[in-house]
Amino acid sequence: MENPLPVIVYGPHSCRVTILEATHLVKRFGSVTAVRDLSLTVAEGEVIGLLGLNGAGKSTTLHMLLGLITPDAGSVNLFGQDLARHRIEVLSRVNFAASYVDLPGPLLVEEVLDAFARLYALRRPTARVDEMVELFELGPLRRRRMMDLSSGQRTRVQLAKALLNAPRLLVLDEPTANLDPDVGDRIRSLLSRLAEESGSAMLITSHNMREVERMCDRIHFMSDGRIVATGSAEELASHYGVDDLEEVFLKVARG
Amino acid sequence: MTSLSPSPSPPPSSSLTLPPLGLAARRSRISGVIRRDFAALRRSPVRMFEILFWPTVELLLWGFVTLFLRTQQVPFVVAFLIGAVLLWQVLQKASNEISMAFLEDIWSRNLLNVQVSPLSSVEYLIGLMLFSLGKVVFAVAVMSGLALVLYGFGVTSLGVGLVPFMGILLLLGWSLGLVGISAVLRFGENAQVIAWSVVFFVQPLAGIFYPMSVLPAPVRTVAWFLPASHVFEGMRTVMSGGAVPWDRMAWAMGLNTVYLAAALAVFGWALNYARRHGRLSRFGD
Repeated sequence: MENPLPVIVYGPHSCRVTILEATHLVKRFGSVTAVRDLSLTVAEGEVIGLLGLNGAGKSTTLHMLLGLITPDAGSVNLFGQDLARHRIEVLSRVNFAASYVDLPGPLLVEEVLDAFARLYALRRPTARVDEMVELFELGPLRRRRMMDLSSGQRTRVQLAKALLNAPRLLVLDEPTANLDPDVGDRIRSLLSRLAEESGSAMLITSHNMREVERMCDRIHFMSDGRIVATGSAEELASHYGVDDLEEVFLKVARG
Repeated sequence: MTSLSPSPSPPPSSSLTLPPLGLAARRSRISGVIRRDFAALRRSPVRMFEILFWPTVELLLWGFVTLFLRTQQVPFVVAFLIGAVLLWQVLQKASNEISMAFLEDIWSRNLLNVQVSPLSSVEYLIGLMLFSLGKVVFAVAVMSGLALVLYGFGVTSLGVGLVPFMGILLLLGWSLGLVGISAVLRFGENAQVIAWSVVFFVQPLAGIFYPMSVLPAPVRTVAWFLPASHVFEGMRTVMSGGAVPWDRMAWAMGLNTVYLAAALAVFGWALNYARRHGRLSRFGD
């Protein structure tokens, strides 16, 4: 296994406020240690990629950062508050979408968005739902049931739901896994613009190396529950003496 | 989709959302749970059908039994059994409806979306309980109408006692529903059968269709610790022309308070267990 890069280069976000600080996270499931002493930070407006083989601990890490899994050791601070003690305040400024979660099938698209607009206690839920419908071009779909949508259309609704509360941290677990290349590309562009223009930070896992290269300011490679390499796509490629992130991935994954 | 080009820049989060710990935000989140469940119900004719189907079957079944017993000159039996069927529906539905709402989040793989939202457990449960209250009232109203039309049984014959009877059974049903949800959180999806069937543990002990006096003495001693036993015994007292046994109702309400508090504690423990063991992430896999 290669050594982690000794220096983390933050690039244009180096002077931004840290909004997420996870310190020495550990998670064991029985005899399996899924995450080992993992620390990471995310600054305002930063887009962070979390890469690794299946089973490397990426989703467990994300779920600890969202409060879905309680760490055995370590702490998660979001917006300067401890997640465990200020769950409601913290989660009202965070949102999440993943390829392995879905939204209630019998509901119409607009009903799903309306319900979540209220769960996030939006001041003007109906107006915000309309904005999201426009942003994700869901107009023709808004009166259709979730169960009748294609997987790509459902992903767009998921992302609309994930942006309802204009989260300061958006956690995306393989967000474009179900999308065709065209829609995937448009979604990536939209997310990148969101991060740039709104200052929202994003934490993304993906097996699409081009997506990660394109979107992420900084990338953490995970293996066996640890972060084993950190840097921008160019820094990592240079460090490992390869041409692109895909080769870095293979090199890190194969030790 | 041709493009995703409109300006994506959202308004600042603080102006977009209500203060998360304020009353208005809490009300909004609870209404989110209720609106979602109501929309799901409205969009699913099968679920609407299910609300009325089983209670109607039970009403018809017991109704015909009572008609037979009436021919055998068994006094009071018609009113007792029909009244019991109606009140039993309150208990069973209160329990099953909140378990069902939680299980539907698992079945639709929506549980993680709910769990990463700022919805607190208490708000979630209040939403589930209020929605289940609406469904129980609807089902009982329809059943009462049917009982009147088919068997000439007026639910108002329970008099003022109807309010405490239904209130006590609702609270007990919610406690049992919470135990069912807790079992799923603790043991995983395989425990769904517990969520469905937990209320039936009460059925033989609570003297729903027969007086408590028929239970063997040791069983009866245990059964008196069930709030439902006091309700059904009280119902028979009222239907026999007696007054509402308020002392029994007070005792049942006291027991209910203890059980609801215990069920909430069990739910809190089970949710923490599920978070510690990563179960929330694995539901629906």
